[in-house]
Amino acid sequence: MADTSTGLRRRDALASRLVQVGFLAAVIVLWYLAATRWGVNRLLLPNPVAVFDNLVDILRSGEYIDDLKVTLGELAAAFAISVTGGVTLGYLVSRSPYAIRVFEPLFAAIYAIPIILFLPLFVLFFGLGPASKIALGAAISFFPIAINTITGFGTVDRSYVTAARSMGASDYHLFRHVLVPAALPVILSGLRMGFTVALLSIIGSETLASLAGLGHRIVHLAESMEMARMFAYIVFVIAIAAILNAVVSGLEARGRRN
Amino acid sequence: MATAQAAIKVRGVSHQFGEEGEQRFVRALADTSLDVARGELMCLIGPSGCGKSTLLNAIGGLMRPSSGSVDVMGKAVTGPLPRDIAFVFQESALFPWNTVIENIELGMTFQGVAKSERAGRAGQALEAVGLKDFARHYPAQLSGGMRQRAALARALSLETPILLMDEPFGALDEQTRMILGEDLSVLLARSGRTIVFVTHSLGEAVFLADRVAVFSARPGTIKQVIAVDEPHPRKPEFVTSEKFTALRNQLYGLLHDEIRKTVLQSGLGAAARQDAGPA
Amino acid sequence: MNAPASPVVRYLARRPWAARLLVIAFLVGLWEIAARFVVDPLFLSPPSRVIASLGTVFATRGVPAALQLTLFELAVAFVLAVAIGLVLGLAVGLQPFVRRSFFPIVLLLYGMPQVTILPLFILFFGIGAASKIAFGVTHGVFPIIVTVVAGVQNLKPILLTSARSMGASRWQIFRYVIFPHMVPSFFTGMRLGMSGVLLGVLLAELYVSIAGIGYFTTLFTQNFDPTKLLGLIGVLAAMAIALNAVVRRAEAHFARWRAG
Repeated sequence: MADTSTGLRRRDALASRLVQVGFLAAVIVLWYLAATRWGVNRLLLPNPVAVFDNLVDILRSGEYIDDLKVTLGELAAAFAISVTGGVTLGYLVSRSPYAIRVFEPLFAAIYAIPIILFLPLFVLFFGLGPASKIALGAAISFFPIAINTITGFGTVDRSYVTAARSMGASDYHLFRHVLVPAALPVILSGLRMGFTVALLSIIGSETLASLAGLGHRIVHLAESMEMARMFAYIVFVIAIAAILNAVVSGLEARGRRN
Repeated sequence: MATAQAAIKVRGVSHQFGEEGEQRFVRALADTSLDVARGELMCLIGPSGCGKSTLLNAIGGLMRPSSGSVDVMGKAVTGPLPRDIAFVFQESALFPWNTVIENIELGMTFQGVAKSERAGRAGQALEAVGLKDFARHYPAQLSGGMRQRAALARALSLETPILLMDEPFGALDEQTRMILGEDLSVLLARSGRTIVFVTHSLGEAVFLADRVAVFSARPGTIKQVIAVDEPHPRKPEFVTSEKFTALRNQLYGLLHDEIRKTVLQSGLGAAARQDAGPA
Repeated sequence: MNAPASPVVRYLARRPWAARLLVIAFLVGLWEIAARFVVDPLFLSPPSRVIASLGTVFATRGVPAALQLTLFELAVAFVLAVAIGLVLGLAVGLQPFVRRSFFPIVLLLYGMPQVTILPLFILFFGIGAASKIAFGVTHGVFPIIVTVVAGVQNLKPILLTSARSMGASRWQIFRYVIFPHMVPSFFTGMRLGMSGVLLGVLLAELYVSIAGIGYFTTLFTQNFDPTKLLGLIGVLAAMAIALNAVVRRAEAHFARWRAG
C-alpha cells in the first residue's frame, strides 16, 4: 500500500472538488441545452434563465412572504408541540427501565410507517387550514424526539447519579446538574431529527391538501403550468430547507460542545 | 551457515514514511541487512517503532522499501508471494462472516489450491492447532487465543516454506501466550518451516527463537544477533534454566538503552530524565 | 417493592410485550369511547364500526384495484431502488476517488426535501403507476447507496492485507471479502429503502386525487365518511407494517455474524 505525501493528497482533494463542480456545471448546461436547443417541451422543462429571472422577481417583489409566513408558522407551532410533548413524555418514560422496555419499541414501530398516510384524517378533522398541518407535523416529529429523550435520560451512567447522591444532591440538583447535561447530546440530536421531519411533513401536507403555504404554492403553479415560476419556487423552498437544517445542525453542535 | 542456503536475504533495506519536511515524516528503518537460514526461527525484537513490523512487511512483499532489496527462496521480492510466504498478524485477520473452516478453505482458494484438496488440508491444520471441534464456529464465538490458533491453522494450511508472524500473541494474556508458545514450538519442530517472528516479549524471544535479532531505536537497524543454542521442541523447563535466564538478561541489557531512547524520543521520558539526573 | 405484588403485576413484569398490548388496548378503548360519545360522528368513527365496515370499503368499486395497483407500485419501486442503489453504491464505494467526488453529491441529494418536486414528477410521468414508482425509487435509492458505501468503506484494512498476502486476485477480493462484508449494511439499507419507497409511493398516490388511492381518500374525506376513510388508511397502514416486518426479518437474518 503506497503512502501518499501531503502534496499528493492536496492535489487529490482539489481534483475531487473539480469533478463535483464540473458535474454540477454539466447538469446545468445539459438543462439549458435541453430546454432551448433540443426541443424539449417548454411545458415540461423551462429555460433555466427564465427560472432564474422568476426567482429574482419572487425575491424582489416579496411575493413569497405570505406563503413563507404560513409555512414557518405551521412549523414553529408543530415543533413547539412535539418538543414539549416529546421531551416530557420521554423523560417520564425514562424514569423506569420497565416503562422503557414497554414504550420504546412501541414508538419505534409506529415511527417506522409513513404517518403522512393519516393526513386525510387530519384534514377531515381539522379542515384544509393550518391546523391539520400543525397536527400532523407535531404527530410525526413527536416520535424521534420522544425516542431520543428516552435514550438520553435512560442511558445516563449510574455512577454519575451515585456520585452526586453521595454528595447530597437533591432531586432538583440531580436533574439539573447531572441528568440534563448527560442526556443533552442525544436529546439535541433527536430535536434536530424532529425538526427536519416536521419541516418535511409540513411541506408535504401543504402539497397534498392545503390552501396556503409554500407547498401549496408549488402545486398551484403546477396546475396552471407556470413552469418557470414553479421551478423558481422549488429552488427557493430547497434553499430555505437547507438553511433551516444548517442552522439547526449548528445549534445542535453548539449544544453538544457545551 | 552458508549464505547460499539462506531462505531470506535482506540487503541494505531502509524505509521512510512520507517526505522530508512533512509533519508525518518518519525514518522507520535504516540500512538493515539480515540472513535467515532455511528451517530457522528468527525473532525480531526491539522497542516500539523500531521498524520490525516494517521489515516483516517488506520481506513479505506487502510493501516496497524505500531502498535495499529482499530475496526470498532465491527470488527477488516485488509483491506478495502466496506460494512461499504466509502471514499471521497480531490483529485477528479472520473474516468474521465465515466460520473457522471456511476461513481456512478461503485462504487456499486465494492461493490456488485445488478444490478437492482443501477440505483435507483444512482438517489437518485444525487438528495440528487443536481446534478440530471448533471448525464450524464463527470467529466472534471464539476466545482471543483460539482465534489466533485459527489464524495459525490458516497459515499452516497454505503449506508455505516461510511463515511471517507479526506479534501474533501480542493481544493475549500472559498465560495464554505461554501455552501457545509451547504449542508453537512443538508444531514447528515437526514442520521444519522457516519462521520470522516479531515480538516485544523477551521471554517469548528466547523461548522460541534459534536466533534473536535485536533492533535499535528508530531509525531501526540491527544492533546484534544472538544465538539460542537449544533444540526444538523446547521443553517448558527450559524457561527456568540458567541458560534461559542468561540469554534473557543479555537481551535485556541490549534492549534497555534502546527502549529508554525510544521513550525519550516520544517525549514521555522528560520527567524521568529530570529524576535520573545526569546520565 | 413493599407490599407483595399481585400475580397480574408479576406476570406483566416479566413480559413487557404484554404490557405493550395493554397500552395499545387502552388507547383503542379511548378511541372507541371518544368516537362514540364525545366527537361528532362526521369527524371520527369508533374502531368497532371501522372494522365492521371494512367489507364495504372493499366492496366500493375500484378500491381493491387501487390497493392492488399500490402494492404493485411498491414492489416494483423497491426492486428498482435496491438494484440501482446496489450498483451505484458499489460504483461510488469501491473507488476512493469516485467516492470522494460523488459521495458529497449523493448526500446533498439525500438531504433534499423531495416532496417539493412531487408535482413535477406527476407532470413528467403522468397520473399512472409510472410516476408513483419513480417517486418511490428516488426516495428509496439514497439510503441504500449510503449504506452500501458505508459497508464497503468500514472494511478493516487488515482483512484486505491478509487477503492480498494469500494471493487473492482483485475479483476474488471483491467476491470473497468486500461483498460479504457489505451484506449486513446492504440489508440495513434495504430496510431504510423500504421505508423510503413506502413514503414515496404513498405520497404520490395521495397527491393524485383523480385516480388510485388518492381518489378514494379524497372521496371519503369530502363525503365526511370517517368510517371508510379509517378503514382504507388502516389497510394501507397494515400493508406498510407487514412490508417493514419482512425486510426487518431479512436484515436480522443476514446480519448474524455481526452479533458477536
